[in-house]
Amino acid sequence: MSAVIETKDLRKTYGDLNAVDGLSLDIREGSIFSLLGPNGAGKTTTVEILEGLRTPTGGTAHVFGTDVSAGYSGIRERVGILPQDFEPFDRLTSMEAVTYWARLFRKGMTRADGKRLLETVNLTSRADVQAIHLSGGEKRKLGFAMSLVGEPELLFLDEPTTGLDPKARRDLWAVIQGLRKEGRTVFLTTHYLDEAERLSDDVGIMHKGKLAARGDPGDIVMRHASRTTIVLGGAGEAGLREVTRRGIAANLEDGDVTVHVSDPAEMKQVLAKLASLDISLKDMYTRRGSLEDAFLALVGARMEEGVLQG
Amino acid sequence: MNRILADVVAFGKQYIRSKVGAFFTFVFPILLILLFGSIFGQTGSSSVPLPVQDLDNTAMSERFLSALNNTTFVTISMIPSTVDIAEHIGANSLAVALLIPSGFERDVIDALTTGSSAVNVTLYGDSSRSTFGVVVGVLQAVSDQMSFALAGARPVVGIEIAPVGSPAFRYIDYFLPGIVGMTVMINAMFWMTATCAEYRSRRYFKLLATTTLRKSEWLTSKILWFTLILTASLFVSVAVGIAAFNVQLRIDVLALAFILAGTFLFTSLGMLLGTFVKDAEAASALANAVGFPMMFISGSFFPLESMPAFLQTAARALPLTYLNNGLRDAMVFGNLDSALTNLAVVAVAGAVVFAIASRAMSWKGR
Repeated sequence: MSAVIETKDLRKTYGDLNAVDGLSLDIREGSIFSLLGPNGAGKTTTVEILEGLRTPTGGTAHVFGTDVSAGYSGIRERVGILPQDFEPFDRLTSMEAVTYWARLFRKGMTRADGKRLLETVNLTSRADVQAIHLSGGEKRKLGFAMSLVGEPELLFLDEPTTGLDPKARRDLWAVIQGLRKEGRTVFLTTHYLDEAERLSDDVGIMHKGKLAARGDPGDIVMRHASRTTIVLGGAGEAGLREVTRRGIAANLEDGDVTVHVSDPAEMKQVLAKLASLDISLKDMYTRRGSLEDAFLALVGARMEEGVLQG
Repeated sequence: MNRILADVVAFGKQYIRSKVGAFFTFVFPILLILLFGSIFGQTGSSSVPLPVQDLDNTAMSERFLSALNNTTFVTISMIPSTVDIAEHIGANSLAVALLIPSGFERDVIDALTTGSSAVNVTLYGDSSRSTFGVVVGVLQAVSDQMSFALAGARPVVGIEIAPVGSPAFRYIDYFLPGIVGMTVMINAMFWMTATCAEYRSRRYFKLLATTTLRKSEWLTSKILWFTLILTASLFVSVAVGIAAFNVQLRIDVLALAFILAGTFLFTSLGMLLGTFVKDAEAASALANAVGFPMMFISGSFFPLESMPAFLQTAARALPLTYLNNGLRDAMVFGNLDSALTNLAVVAVAGAVVFAIASRAMSWKGR
């Protein structure tokens, strides 16, 4: 498949700050690509360059083969965008907003079309409500609907599920997966690692303007978080003392004792030792490495709501 | 064109629903017209109130008062003969009052029959006020007429009044076009400055930049919207003026051309100011700083000729002056040459400001 997006050594600097520092990417048609990273990693700057909203300091960025620095007019109708800081027009209803947006994309939209579109994001019941009266999550859904009005081949969704409740997030995931089935390309930026892992064919982890890792989520986990973790649920500090007394390296995480093993042989050995211990447990299970573990390994810190911890 | 119309419709809905826009377009000018029309509606060529104390109360004094009344330049009201006129003037803050002394009729007859000296009525008032001068003139004319009539002579030289401009030109007729000009400025300039600030702070510009709508189309749609709404405001204001004060104004193609040119100029000026502000507070402060002085010294409320020379010079540098003058040329005086000159000034200024604003405004980030 051909590359819908292609960047080479893309750079954007603000004074001494390298917001984007030599980013080279190619996103293939019909895929869902997630750009991950904490706040300030350079994700939004990268996306806004690709959307034609910022001019790069150096390098090149092509979308549908068009150099975005030279102009976007030829491809604007093929691209849908949900910005990170999206705010709807307060005094327009949801229906009016999508109809207005459709006309700005040279598309006719009947009320029935508008209803179908709002139904996609589960906002039909709020079709005739002015945006000022919508909740934060509903506003986000409206923004998502507006990004779809032009039936774009490429969608940039910058933090699309921020502010949504768990059910609304899952509903939106289903819509995004549906877009892939229709052959559309989705460029997603998110700081929800589970979201990226669940949705993406292709992931890039960005840190301090650079791409720290790139590839299939499973590959990234294999490369950077291949360990398996044995979890002794509720073992507590007493359990940790017992485990470490037997010479097993372990950690205490939220009352659980965790032991990392690198391969099946080591796991067999550790399990044998643990079986001989007499410690109080709620449960015991194994956990495979996740994108979150890979992120921790690559960046050196965990991420919560876009903020690096520790 | 479809995109421009879509933007006009969307912006118009937001404008009307905000209620603030509708207030300043329709309610505010109506309030000003009613308020100023009520306060100043009796000035201009209308009569001056003249309180009179008649201590003679005879057929001769009544004849004199009747002659005064017939001039239509004064409206007589009576002060009771029992009060002290000087105290009455002070207590009621009267600008002017007339005293007809006791024995007025007797003294007039004496003067006619015996040739004794003329009989005086006394006019109290502040000679520095214009109403005093008007009453002195009227009294002089009536006294002369009465003297001629009583003496059996007739005047050989008289004065004929020839009104200038609209046949019944009054303050309200002068005032209303100024309010129309001011409404154009307030709505187009203040609103656009605030809109630009809001669109920048809430990232609407960036959002619009992701569509196929061009910046020039967005600007055009704002000019179209304000032309529509301000034309409606013009008709409503004149209708209220006619209903409340029987104003004698005309709305013709030239008046509508001034609405279009004025909207073009002040919408563009609002866009230009909007490029310098980042939030609503700054927009409000800047628009007020530019708009309020312009509102007061550009002849919206008072004739430029009544202001000090340095303010008149300043007014000539302000675009609202030309809009106000042009609207009066078109709506009141019917002065085509002067109207076209003012229209050209407004239109050219609008084109220059529009070109600068279009270049200065950016929708994208750095």
